[in-house]
Amino acid sequence: MQDVAQEVIKFIDLNYANALYLFIVGFIGGLVSGFIGSGGAFVLTPGMMSLGVPGLVAVASNMCHKFPKALVGAIRRAKYGQVDVKLGIIFGIFAEAGVFYGAHIQEMIKQRFGDAGSNLYVSTAFVVILATVGTFVLRDAIKTYRSGTTDKEEQVSKIARWVQSINIPGTMMYFKSLKARVSVLFIVPLGFATGMLAATIAVGGFIGVPSIIYVLGAPSLMGSATELVVAFVMGLGGSLKYALHGFVDFRLTAIILAGSLFGIQLGAMGTTYVKPYMIKFVMGVIMVTVLFSRAFMIPVYLSDLGMITTLSEMTVKVLKSTSFAIMVFALLIGAFIILRAMFQGRRAEQKLVLQASLEQSEV
Amino acid sequence: MATDYSRTRKKPVFRMLAFGICSTALYALVFSYQGFITAYFTRGALYAALPIATAFAISFIHGNFTSYFWSVLGIEANRKALRPRPEVTRPDMRERPQPQPRLRAKL
Repeated sequence: MQDVAQEVIKFIDLNYANALYLFIVGFIGGLVSGFIGSGGAFVLTPGMMSLGVPGLVAVASNMCHKFPKALVGAIRRAKYGQVDVKLGIIFGIFAEAGVFYGAHIQEMIKQRFGDAGSNLYVSTAFVVILATVGTFVLRDAIKTYRSGTTDKEEQVSKIARWVQSINIPGTMMYFKSLKARVSVLFIVPLGFATGMLAATIAVGGFIGVPSIIYVLGAPSLMGSATELVVAFVMGLGGSLKYALHGFVDFRLTAIILAGSLFGIQLGAMGTTYVKPYMIKFVMGVIMVTVLFSRAFMIPVYLSDLGMITTLSEMTVKVLKSTSFAIMVFALLIGAFIILRAMFQGRRAEQKLVLQASLEQSEV
Repeated sequence: MATDYSRTRKKPVFRMLAFGICSTALYALVFSYQGFITAYFTRGALYAALPIATAFAISFIHGNFTSYFWSVLGIEANRKALRPRPEVTRPDMRERPQPQPRLRAKL
């Protein structure tokens, strides 16, 4: 903690350009989070670091904006009947344990292998999780679209049906999103893995949301909404941990919150205009795009560790810029899909409003 | 119950302005005293409550402002989606089929 304390002293000087940049990134991150239940953090943390904010301060400040944003988003989506608070809290408690364990693993890797080793571990986690889960979610969304069953109630996956069929006395709880009793013993590893991922790549929802949908059997809308409760619990616990050591630069938190609270309301409203498979589609697209972004950084870390031929400074710069640009593109494409779907949905609703007004004036 | 598309809602302009003023005042306070705030919010230990409490305050004040902001602009949730849906009951997954009675006759 001593060497980290040195970093903490370096709180950046904020100017209007930096503030506007953080506001816009916060808005887009909030929009995506309100829709798919997570996301935004993977751009915010490196985004802050690109302004010169030390890594730990960036993570802490981001965490301190995450829980109020998730709270506002969860309240909004609860009004639409999409949130399973009980599942979110229980899932969140085990996710919190996962966050602490994940952070401990990170510290151990950093001590043993240094920054390059830690970065390689994070990038590998990105690639493995996003490749497996992201492609699965995207394929499922495309399959649903092509089958023409987008208007029908979502089918519960085979794994979820099996999970819901298991009865372990003394551990069973009823969850309204699942419309079934499920053993808490299934929620423990899923929550823990979500927290570990959050501590590693800053976005636990990339495991959290798919596991709530595909393993526990919740509908997509409820899975993504319930993840906001999980994010609130994780964010609050993580923020307390960092705030106890004085790592939160509240100015950054406040600016990001200013933008993200606009975005998350819009993202939440967007879920009421789209068919459920769109949640999976947007999540899958973002995950697969970010996968490519992280893949560009792996040669840089392998070079730093001496595992491949040392790359030139120019090559490293190009790879880092390309990686960051693709990551920003991932968020932008997610935001574009959400806004487009919302725009189309609102146009359809406005036609109905006009039609109803005409019918009433005729009567 | 069919969705009533003919009814237009009154826009919450006053509430938006009220929360907007409070939000602006809160942000102005945070950034006018940013040196003081940074010093106290990063002291650690019991002072950790300060950034957490302020984040909650922002989520309430600014959260309400942003909500009313979108409503005043006419951007709201799809009314059809807010309509209560009939409860769909799923069969109990643990129900096992009853064994069929079989006649065992000894010849």
